[in-house]
Amino acid sequence: MSGYLELVESALAAGSRVGALYASGGSVRTVIVSPHGATQIAEAPLRDGRAPSIVGLAPAAAWDEREAADLYGIRFDGHEPLRPLVHHDLDLAGWTVPVHGEDVYQVAVGPTHAGVIESGHFRFHVVGDRILQLDARLFYKHRGLERAAEGQSADGGLAYVGRACAACAVSNSVAYAHAWEELLGLAPTADLARGRTILLELERLWSHLNDIGAICAGVGFAAGNSGFAALTERARRLNERLTGHRFLFGAVQVGGSRFTLTRDDLAHARTELEELRAESRRAWRELLFNASFQDRLPDVGVVSAEDGRALGAVGPAARASGLPDDARAAGRRLAYDGFAAVAPRRTAGDVQARLEQRAVELLQTFDLLDDLLADPLDASAAVPGAPGAEAVGVGLVESPRGATVCVVERDGALIRRLHLRTGSYANWPVVAHAAAGNLLPDFPLINKSFELCYACADR
Amino acid sequence: MLTLLRDLRRLRRSIALPAPDRGRSLAVRHVDAGSCNGCEHELTLLAGPHYDLQRFGLGVVASPRHADVLLVTGPVTSRMREPLLAAYQAMPEPRRVAALGDCALGCNVLGLASELAGRVEDVLPVDLTIPGCPPKPAEIAAALLAFIDGAG
Repeated sequence: MSGYLELVESALAAGSRVGALYASGGSVRTVIVSPHGATQIAEAPLRDGRAPSIVGLAPAAAWDEREAADLYGIRFDGHEPLRPLVHHDLDLAGWTVPVHGEDVYQVAVGPTHAGVIESGHFRFHVVGDRILQLDARLFYKHRGLERAAEGQSADGGLAYVGRACAACAVSNSVAYAHAWEELLGLAPTADLARGRTILLELERLWSHLNDIGAICAGVGFAAGNSGFAALTERARRLNERLTGHRFLFGAVQVGGSRFTLTRDDLAHARTELEELRAESRRAWRELLFNASFQDRLPDVGVVSAEDGRALGAVGPAARASGLPDDARAAGRRLAYDGFAAVAPRRTAGDVQARLEQRAVELLQTFDLLDDLLADPLDASAAVPGAPGAEAVGVGLVESPRGATVCVVERDGALIRRLHLRTGSYANWPVVAHAAAGNLLPDFPLINKSFELCYACADR
Repeated sequence: MLTLLRDLRRLRRSIALPAPDRGRSLAVRHVDAGSCNGCEHELTLLAGPHYDLQRFGLGVVASPRHADVLLVTGPVTSRMREPLLAAYQAMPEPRRVAALGDCALGCNVLGLASELAGRVEDVLPVDLTIPGCPPKPAEIAAALLAFIDGAG
């Protein structure tokens, strides 16, 4: 039992991070991700339904342990108080952090919101307009996808991760395919790796365009929002032209790929991407020179590098705080040769930095697609590689919102346990942290600067 | 800013959406009852320059108190059943319910039966169904406009 804590502690000391933690059979398993993107599993066998908590070592695992407690009845020694996360049957005092003091009151928002927004509940503890503490209660959209996928085949399980979230459909599907291919001892061909990398970058393209527009919407800047909405629409039309689906649904398979690109497809894509690049640069410049927009961004929703690391921030949000991790640099099973993460000039960890991070990554995505779309793409099947002796397959992919881990444990050809921990899941506690100390009217802006999915956190 | 507005005007001209030809409007309240966020992402673009549904007086409102139609996405999860009913109960009569997307219609729903409350139709009386996974913005627009035209 102590070996578990020691393994986690030494891995963290060596610069690794906790990529996921989940309950499986008679144990709790922690996926540790090294700075180079290698993964290993630390396992704690349960004793009387209890496991040692790692939140003292890695606060980033707090939600994971709370979820395992709610859904699998595990008690974590040292995780006190162990508040519910997925279960909604406790009263307010049971799931919120108590905040007392003169003039402290609560503002409840959601689960339904005043617009086209996913469902989730935010409980703000405030004095006047100042947020002291934010307790987010998600999982209103919990569909039990992981448990429902148990007993499915590799192909059958794909829908459960693909439809977990439209905005991360490719990222989640590729992470799942990688997990299975690790189990089956399959390695990607060059075309398979390139095809999936193209799909991942097309997903990032529309997501980042959408997110920049969303930040404009977060301050009520309609012209910026409309401009980037138009670009998002064009990016989704390009997806449809290339794959038959605006969100690239169905474009990823396990053990191979049916995704092809002809010379006609390439010519169309390259022309469209050139125009999109020019227009998004132009629209971005307009945002830079809009003083009343820019004035809302700096020093709002600040996440320091130290806090970001402790809380397990990932993706553009983490990079905007000066944490350079980008799973693409590890390039596992994908075509990211020579990739280096980019960062804005000012990694202040505020709304402005998170917005700029999207902009620099967007340009990088155009460059990547330019290289990836040089040659036609044929359908391709994965080939036998390293022997697939492992009992646990792990996929790690950089989604538009950050590192996403998918774990598959198999029983022969069927899924025994599926676990999906997305970039959004990792970053939700960071949003709550970023909100504290800020003004309530700035919360929509702070929230939009992360632009996380509820769907793939709730599953 | 001026460049941005000029570009938007040019885009508007090139898309050349037809002028509104209806004298009616529809106030829509959206409730996500457990979707994958695909329907939401498409719905958001209906207000964008390529569709601009607001020119038909068709907009998303901030409260069910202001709404004619409750537009519901997702397979209704057990946790969203109550908030969905609360939104419906807050609406003034006459009120209508639209189920948006395959999940809301009970098609190919994934998940554990114990975490789901059923189709939208099992929870509320549904007046309009818009299938698709997710339905494209143009399909959503066509369905809502036909609904305006057909509503007494």
